[in-house]
Parts: sequence; structure tokens; C-alpha cells
Amino acid sequence: MLIDVNAWLGVWPFRSLKDNTPEALVARLDRSGIDIAAVSLIEAIFHRNVQPANEKLAKAVQPCKDRLLPMATLNPTYPAWEDDLAACHEKLGMKGVRLFPQYHGYPIDGPLGRQVVEACRERNLPVFIPHRIEDARERHWMDPGKTVDLGAVAGLIAAVPGATVVVPNARGVSGSDLWQRTDLRDRPWYVDLSLWEPNREFANFLNQGGASHLLFGTHLPFSYAGSALVKRATLPLNAEGLADVSYRNAAKIFGLKPQAA
Amino acid sequence: MRIDIESGLRRPKIDVHCHVRPMPDTDASSDDLIASGDAVGVAEFWCSRPITGGRLSPIEEVRRNNDDVLRAMGHHPDRIRGLCFVIPGHYKDALTEVERCLDAGMIGIKLYNQYHLSDPAVWPVLQLASERRVPILEHAGYPTAAEDLAQQPLISHGIHFAEASRKFPDALLIHAHIGGGGDWERTVKEMREASPNVCIDTSGSNLDDGQVEFAVSELGAGRVLFGSDGTMAGSVGKVIDAALTDEEKERIFWGNAERILAAQGAKPLRSRE
Repeated sequence: MLIDVNAWLGVWPFRSLKDNTPEALVARLDRSGIDIAAVSLIEAIFHRNVQPANEKLAKAVQPCKDRLLPMATLNPTYPAWEDDLAACHEKLGMKGVRLFPQYHGYPIDGPLGRQVVEACRERNLPVFIPHRIEDARERHWMDPGKTVDLGAVAGLIAAVPGATVVVPNARGVSGSDLWQRTDLRDRPWYVDLSLWEPNREFANFLNQGGASHLLFGTHLPFSYAGSALVKRATLPLNAEGLADVSYRNAAKIFGLKPQAA
Repeated sequence: MRIDIESGLRRPKIDVHCHVRPMPDTDASSDDLIASGDAVGVAEFWCSRPITGGRLSPIEEVRRNNDDVLRAMGHHPDRIRGLCFVIPGHYKDALTEVERCLDAGMIGIKLYNQYHLSDPAVWPVLQLASERRVPILEHAGYPTAAEDLAQQPLISHGIHFAEASRKFPDALLIHAHIGGGGDWERTVKEMREASPNVCIDTSGSNLDDGQVEFAVSELGAGRVLFGSDGTMAGSVGKVIDAALTDEEKERIFWGNAERILAAQGAKPLRSRE
């Protein structure tokens, strides 16, 4: 079984994406040997009021709900975000929440960030904070193109015990506070394979026990799934460790029943 | 059809864009490079040691860097080939250094961001490369953010390759890393009017879906080369996953580099089989 924690539907304003509809993404997952993908709607990042986009997403994934797990986009700087969270969880069946502090303009380890993550923890919903959406070196002039500070994410994890926090698209993890703060190593935080090249830094992370914080993610349809698949195929892990990275850790996060391939 | 990662990993590859670290880490870094390539089917690595950041360093430092590459070639003679880095502004010393390195077994030239590729200061190097039929791998990209461009104001992009190829149509020019950062769609489109001898490599940490297919559709499969530049698994995965024919992927992973070697009368270090 293979679960992709980092996929998307919808339109990125600055580059034409392929395979960004539910049908096309499922076909791409089939081609890539991926069973399930967690998805949110890209344009929700840019909408002032995110909730209509969340409602649109829930409807769009309904025909393929066994393959695409809907993820809510929340903006805690906007009025009534608590109501949005409740609706996404209780009415729309969302399996997690994605936050974009670099787009919505709040420090992730500040009061608002802590408040929204605490609210998700109370509902047992995992929180996803993408380190970046697109490579900043190619950013469009209208895109802030900023990355999230991993040290701030570490501060957030320390401040909200019990919260499940995933940082997709991260690089430079092993040198950051996220890994250097050994007091956080037993906390349920994760990064994914999508944009982190298995270099010496990555090897150090694994050698020091980092595999328990690793998930399979592709960043489809922004990025090639093949890159993450090659990294997975060459991970220096035994069968148990590989199963954890491929689906067991993700199944636990989403409350799914894991199934071996 | 489902993509076959295992079969893609077994397919032999020539990596045209690699680096080794300076002494005393040269041997260890070349060992690391071989190990990372072994995991994904890379048979041959084209390595260089450029001086980065646009710095105009003394020729002695340039020679030391190239000596590191010669050492790596000696350490893994059946796997590593060299690209001679020079700063074209050293003029006759740069040309002498290229001749020294080619005569010592290197198979090409590496340029960084000290000059735009089309700058007249680079012309003597382009001329020599054309005469010796060796490729030039040029650090390149189109950074869109002012702060990124400020760090390397003389980085070349497609326009500079097109201009250089008009002056030296026989020169074998390789635009480094389509995913090295910057607007890859723009720099590829700028290269459409360049000579057929202008290619691009697949390397870079930016793994945007569609990069490889876009380069093939704009330039043709004969002008796209496999390269990693430190992003080995990511770059291999791009090509394996690309919506291209098996024949097109074969040219990218092997055939195009083999053709570049053949131009100077050389063959891959290992048989493709």
C-alpha cells in the first residue's frame, strides 16, 4: 500500500499544471502505483474566504472518496475560522487541515498559529504546514514565494503537545530545530520525501532515527511523482521501516486501516 | 501504463552534471558520488570543480580545482570523466588550462557565472571548444527574484546560449540544470532558435512536473541530457516519470551523451549493456 500525504487539486495561478482534476489525478496515482492521496484545493490558499473552496473540494472528491482524502484549508486570520473548521470536520468529512502562514500572514508559532493547531488537536485532526509551495527562485512577482521557518514549526510543536504536525516539501530538516531539538523527537511530527533529496544530510537524519518521522509524499501535480518513488525505492530501510514510511505512519495519522501491498 | 521504477533504475545512464569536493575530501566525495549513482543506474559521471559566486579567482586556484577533478578521474578511471573549469577572463591562461586538462583526459569544459556565455570574453573558449569538438557545460537559469539575480548578475540563460550559438554554431553547448532554479519555461523557450548543438540537462533541485517533456517538445529529445548536480534520485525520477517514449528516454539517459563523446572520437567508459 502507498499513501501520498502531499497532493493537490485545482489551479496554481503562475504555471499550468497537468493532472489537477480528481479524475486526472486518480489516473496519475494509478500510473504511479499510489493507492490514496491527501488533497486540498490550491486556489483556497489565495481566496480571502477559504470556506467555499473547501466545500467545492468536498464535492469534487466525492466520486473518488476511496482514493482522495480531502484536506481543509484554514486561514485563522479570517473571521469565523473556528466555524470553518467545525464544518470541514463534521459536515464535509475532511481528514486533516492545511495551513499557509507564509501566505496568510501570521507567525506559525504565534498565538493564532497555536490556537488553530490546538483546535485541530482537540479534534484529533493532523495539521499540515507545507514548507514551500513552489521553488522561490522561480516565483512569480505576485507570489510571496516564502518558506516556513522550521525553527518556528519546532516552537509550535513544543507549545502544543499532542498535536500531529506534518511539514511537506521540507528541506534542510536535520540541521534545523525540528530535528536538533531532541526534546521533540517523541512528538508526532513528520516530513515527507517529496522535495528532500537523499543526500548526506538526509542519511544523517535516517541514521539518527529520523525514519519514524518520515512519510511518503509526492507534491503532485506540482512535482514529478517519479522523484519521490525513486527516493522510496532506494531508501536504506528494512521492510518494516519501508512499510512505516510508505503507508503505516500515514494511515495512523488519518485514522485509516493500513493494508499491506 | 504504470511507470516501472525498478526497470528505470536498471537502465544505464550517463550523468553529464556532477561535482567533486576539494582535497582532502576529493576521494571520499567521488566515492559518495559513485555510491549514489550505483543506486540508480548511473554508469558514468562528468565532474567539475567550478569557482562559484561569480568570483574572479587567480588562475592558480583554477588549476588546483582542476587538479582535484583529475585526481577523482584517477581514483575512479572507469566511472569519472572531467570537465575543465576556467574563467574566460584569464584569456591565454584559460586556453592553456583547457588544453592541459583535455590533454590529461578531460572531455569538456565547465563555465560558471563569471561571464554571460555570449560575452566576447568567452569567444576564445568557444572557439577552442569548437575546434576540439568538446562540450561546454554552462551554469545557467533565469532567476525571477531580484535578490536571486543580485547574487549572480552574470548567470546565463537561453538568450545567451542562442546568441553564442549564432557566433559559434558548431560549439556543443549544454545549458545546466533545467531545475536549477528560475523560470525554466522561459529559458527553454529562448533556446528554440539556438543551433541544434545547444542542449539542456535535467538536473536541479526543482522537480516541477512537466520540465522534461517541455524541454523535449520545445527542443527535441536529441537536445536533452541527463544530469543530476547533487539531485540524483530526484533527477532520475523526473526522466523515468516523464510522459515520453522509451526511445526518447534512452536518448536522454544515454544516447545524446554518447553522441557528444563521439564528436571528439571518444566512447562511454562502460558499454551500455
